[in-house]
This record gives sequence, C-alpha cells and structure tokens, in this order.
Amino acid sequence: MSNPFPLEKDRLLEAYRCMKTIREFEERLHVDFGRGDIPGFVHLYAGEEASAVGIMMHLKDLDRIASTHRGHGHCIAKGVDVKAMMAEIYGKATGSCGGKGGSMHIADLSKGMMGANGILGAGAPLICGAALAAQKLGHDGVGITFFGDGASNQGTVLESMNLAAIWNLPVLFIVENNGYAEATSVDYAVASDSFVDRAAGFGMPGITVDGTDFFAVFEAAGEIIKRAREGAGPTLMECKMIRFFGHFEGDAQTYRAPGENEDNRKNRDCLKIFRSKVNEAGVLSDAELNAIDDEVLTLIEEAVEEAKAAPLPAPEELTTDVYVSY
Amino acid sequence: MLKVGIIANPVSARDIRRIVSHAGNLPINDRANILLRILTGLAITGVEEVLIMPENGGIRSQLLRTIERERRMGRHRLPRVTYLEMPVTCTADDSIEAARQMHDQGVGAIVVLGGDGTNRVVVSGCGNTPIAGVSTGTNNAFPELREPTITGLAVGLAVTGQVPSEYAFSFNKRLEVTVNDKREIALVDVAVVSERFIGARAIWKTENFRDLFVTFGLPDGIGMSSIVGLLAPLDRDTPEGRRIRFLPVERANIRLSAPIAPGLIEEVGVGAIEVIQPNTIYLPSVSAGSFALDGERELTFSEVDDVGIRLLTDAFRTINVPDCMAYAAKHGLLTRVAENQLRAAQNKGRTQ
Repeated sequence: MSNPFPLEKDRLLEAYRCMKTIREFEERLHVDFGRGDIPGFVHLYAGEEASAVGIMMHLKDLDRIASTHRGHGHCIAKGVDVKAMMAEIYGKATGSCGGKGGSMHIADLSKGMMGANGILGAGAPLICGAALAAQKLGHDGVGITFFGDGASNQGTVLESMNLAAIWNLPVLFIVENNGYAEATSVDYAVASDSFVDRAAGFGMPGITVDGTDFFAVFEAAGEIIKRAREGAGPTLMECKMIRFFGHFEGDAQTYRAPGENEDNRKNRDCLKIFRSKVNEAGVLSDAELNAIDDEVLTLIEEAVEEAKAAPLPAPEELTTDVYVSY
Repeated sequence: MLKVGIIANPVSARDIRRIVSHAGNLPINDRANILLRILTGLAITGVEEVLIMPENGGIRSQLLRTIERERRMGRHRLPRVTYLEMPVTCTADDSIEAARQMHDQGVGAIVVLGGDGTNRVVVSGCGNTPIAGVSTGTNNAFPELREPTITGLAVGLAVTGQVPSEYAFSFNKRLEVTVNDKREIALVDVAVVSERFIGARAIWKTENFRDLFVTFGLPDGIGMSSIVGLLAPLDRDTPEGRRIRFLPVERANIRLSAPIAPGLIEEVGVGAIEVIQPNTIYLPSVSAGSFALDGERELTFSEVDDVGIRLLTDAFRTINVPDCMAYAAKHGLLTRVAENQLRAAQNKGRTQ
C-alpha cells in the first residue's frame, strides 16, 4: 500500500521520534522531580506533543520561536540538544544555559529558540521583534509565539497581536489551549470564550485545529507558515489539546473531573493516535516504532546519567551570562 | 408541551478554510444573538420550551445573560430554555449527540446554526425529526440565507400545527457513502480526492479532485456543488443527482472557474457530467483516496476497501420556511384584525 500521508516515511519516523522524545523526557522528569532530584519548578508538556512537532516540522533554524513556562516540548521540537536540556534542568554547568536558567529559561539561539519564559505572555512581543528583523532583513523567516489559554488574557499578547497586524509581521500566534489556566477553567477565565474571535478583532485570520492529531496540526501549520513566508502577515491558530500532568509538578489537580486524566491517556493521547493512523495505513510497522521507543529511552537514560554526573556551575561564574546579545 | 431543539456548536466555522480561502468567522456574541432572535420567533407562535445543546464556547453564557436581562426589563416573553444533559467534547460529535437526544425527547424540529457540515452531522443523528438550517457556516449551500427571526417564526408555525404539514415540511435528497462497514452521509456533495489522510479536513487543492457527486447544484451556489450549478444545474426536488468526473485542467475540454469556497474561485477541469439515479451504487473513479462530505475529508479508502456512493430521495425533512410564511400570510396567522379588514387588505394587495 502506498503512503497516504503528506510526509515521506523518513519524515514520519522523524515526527514520531520527536514526539516520543518529548514524551519520555517529560515522563522521566515527572519521576525524578517526585524523587526530589531536580531543583526549581517544572511544568510538563506531555500530552501536547503533536502541537510542537506538527508546527516545528515546517521550520528552519532561521525561524524563531518564543516559548512558555511549559517549554520542554518546544525546545526539543526546535532541535535543542536533549542532553544539554536535561543538564540545564538539573542545574548543571553542561546545560543549555550553563545551568543558570533551569526548566523555564532554556534557550538556544543557534536553533532559533529564543527561550522558554517564566513570564506569561512575554514571548509574544519578543517574537514580534524577531519577525520585524526578518521582515527588515528581507529573508523569509517567521516568528512563532506559543502561549496558553491563560496567557491569552495578558496585555502583552493582545498588544503584540495589534503590532503584528499593523506591521503585517510574519508572526504566528499559537494558542495551546489545554483547557486550564493553572487550575482555572478556560470557560471561566476567557471573556469572549473564543480565541479566533480575538484574532478577528485585530483583522487577522484565526483557525482552530485538533491539537491531538499530528496530521491536522501539520497540515494547518504548513498553510499558515507558508502564508506568513509569502508576506500575508500574522495568523492565530488555536490547538485544542490536553495535558497529562498538572499545571506544575506537585499539582493535586483537584479541579479535574473524575476520570479525566484516565480518559485523556486512553482516548486523546496524540502518540497513540499517530501510531494508530500510520499502522492502519500500513506505512510504519510496530517493529519500526518500537525500535524508536527503545532508542529514545536509551537517550533519556543517558541524558539523566550525564546530567547527574556533570558539575554544578562554579561560584565564580555567578555573574557571567547575565546578559547576552541576540 | 411543544418543544423545539436548537443546536449551535461553537466549533463550527473555525477550520482552515479561513486561511486557504476567505471564509468568514461569525463571532460567538453574534451566534448568541442569533439564538435570541430564533427564540423570539418561536415564542410568538406558542412554542413553550426550547432544548439547547450545551457547549462551553461562550454561546450559552452570552445567551443566558441576555435572557435574564430581557426578563428583568419585561421586554420579551421567551420560551423556557433548557440545556441537554450531556458531556461536552468541543467537537462536532456534540452536535450528533444533541440531535439524538432531541429526537428521543420528541422535539418538533431542530434549528441548526452552521453550514453544510454542521447540518450534515445533525441529520446523521436526528432520525425523522425535521431540521431548519440557519446559515452561519463556512459553505452554506444547504442552509438558505435568511434572517433567523423568520426561521424561528416558521419553525414555530410548523411544529404547533398552525401550518399544515404539506406546506410546512419538505423532503430532501442525501448521499450515503460506505467504506466497508462505515457509513456516512452528505446533504449536498461528496467529493473524491486523491489525498488519503484526513488532516485539516477541508479540500481546496483542485489538482487532487477526482469525482464529485451532488444531490443538487445551483448556479448561485457556493462550494463544490457550484461546479454542477454552473454546468448542469439541478434543484433540490428532482429525484436524481449529478456526477462530475474531473480531469487535469490542461487535458480537459471543459475548464470552469468555480467558487469552491467563500472567496476562492479556482479553475477545474471537467471530463464528464453524468446523471445519477437513486438507490444505485456508484464507485469512485480512483481506487484510493478520501471522501470529502459536504466539503470536509471524513473517510479514507484504498484498494482493499469495499466502497460505494448512493443517492437517496425523500431521505429527511426540513422546515419549508418560505411556504410556512406564505401560508401564514395567506391565512392571517400572525394577524390580529377583524376578518373583514384582513380580507380587504388581502384583496387590495392582489389588485396592486
């Protein structure tokens, strides 16, 4: 049977490997954080992988992204080194940012990853700057800012949408709507209840996609990124998704309905959905996918071992890297 | 108690066609306002209760806030509004489940906010309950463009029996598509496209079009059925369908600029136009691809699948809004004047 998907087989394997890497990275952090091995705070991306990977498969290093406090998935999908990320989260000198940033400040400018961000909605104005630079330099780079349903209410996001619209910037505003702003339901906290309506308020198109379906995200993202590269300006895309874990590690999740987490794992797991589609089409076999699973687990295990063995930043490094030039 | 159902799913008209074409986006506030206008029409005809599909996209909160405000100000007498008890998935599945429950609860009709796709999923769940479409979707070939207040009035007049059923209801054709044991329906068109994945669902890449089957196609229609409408128009009542076989534009004798989506007029190559008969199984002209039902990819198929497309007539009922309102005008259903004055007014109208 021929491949029915809009990606060649090696790209499908790449997509699965990336989603699986994010998943296992987060599952391992869930365990290690519970054990008290990790300093600081972590917010896990597990369950949301199809969004990061479906979008990032279209990007080049020249393209810029600005992430959120829940940024591990965006980093991995944008090509940041997994071992350096793990070391960063463990606060070690071999980390992406020398161990001084931790989970919420991982950045790698060489990959176009402008940083996870502990300030809600702070990525949006940053990415407008990156997109303005692309526009002025005359290349076809795009800027993508991710934010959640909660951060969508921040003034910075709305101001950035206005700026992107009036300057016709190649910016994509990606609302990763997992249903909760920390513990507050989106139904309560978002006045218009519709992110697409908010885009319309700035005269920019907005769409909603099923963020649990890699192929839906991939196809829609391809169109809006192409549109931005061609000079058609900003777009908002809402990915409706779920997160497997709490807002932060340690969140008791008392706001969830009984059985919600179990139902999410059983019926809305983007990795399961991907596997079932490629299996059913006869394009990727279980053996091929299981082999990737094993390789990913080995990578994560090595990343953790190396992170644990790595040195802490030296005290004399305290004041270095405080400011960096973009 | 006379009940009517309303399905307004906030996820409708949010898909990629706002990017690949210039399809509109009806804001949530306007959708709530449309519901209020429908309720106004229903109330005056004597409908006492309205069942509404629950959702958490904002329509409910806006509507209830407005109803409460209107009630406090004593402005309108509206039917009692009740929301169905069902889980909300924020998908089109909510519309199907709501249609099932409304049918089970014996509503006289279901008013549907949406385009061809939303009307399609409601028909797939509502059994023999008639529907009335309010055009708020992406492609609106099936629901006619009309002020919702009037749709509310007509639905009320129909379900309360003030307009006899021979005027109140119309029967409609539909298409059935089967892939092995899966069966889906389409109200307007089934497009066969070569893409074999569902993805973002919409269809807009004309080079992938292979076949088109329609129940009707009007010259002033929008969407895939416009291709038939501009080449060999077919109305909603004639008991037959049409099939188009596409060819690459450079090989086709007929090259048509067709409005395949709002703001998207593309040239398509047509190889043949054929009549299709009811209750006959037709096969797609390719062995693998997807079926797009009323504009959205829903089913994929390959060489190993058993597939078929069939036209059914008298398949489901809709409220005939123009005929309901014409009957109301003729018989003075909304008029409170002395009978002789009414007759004089009608006679005067005829002579002018």
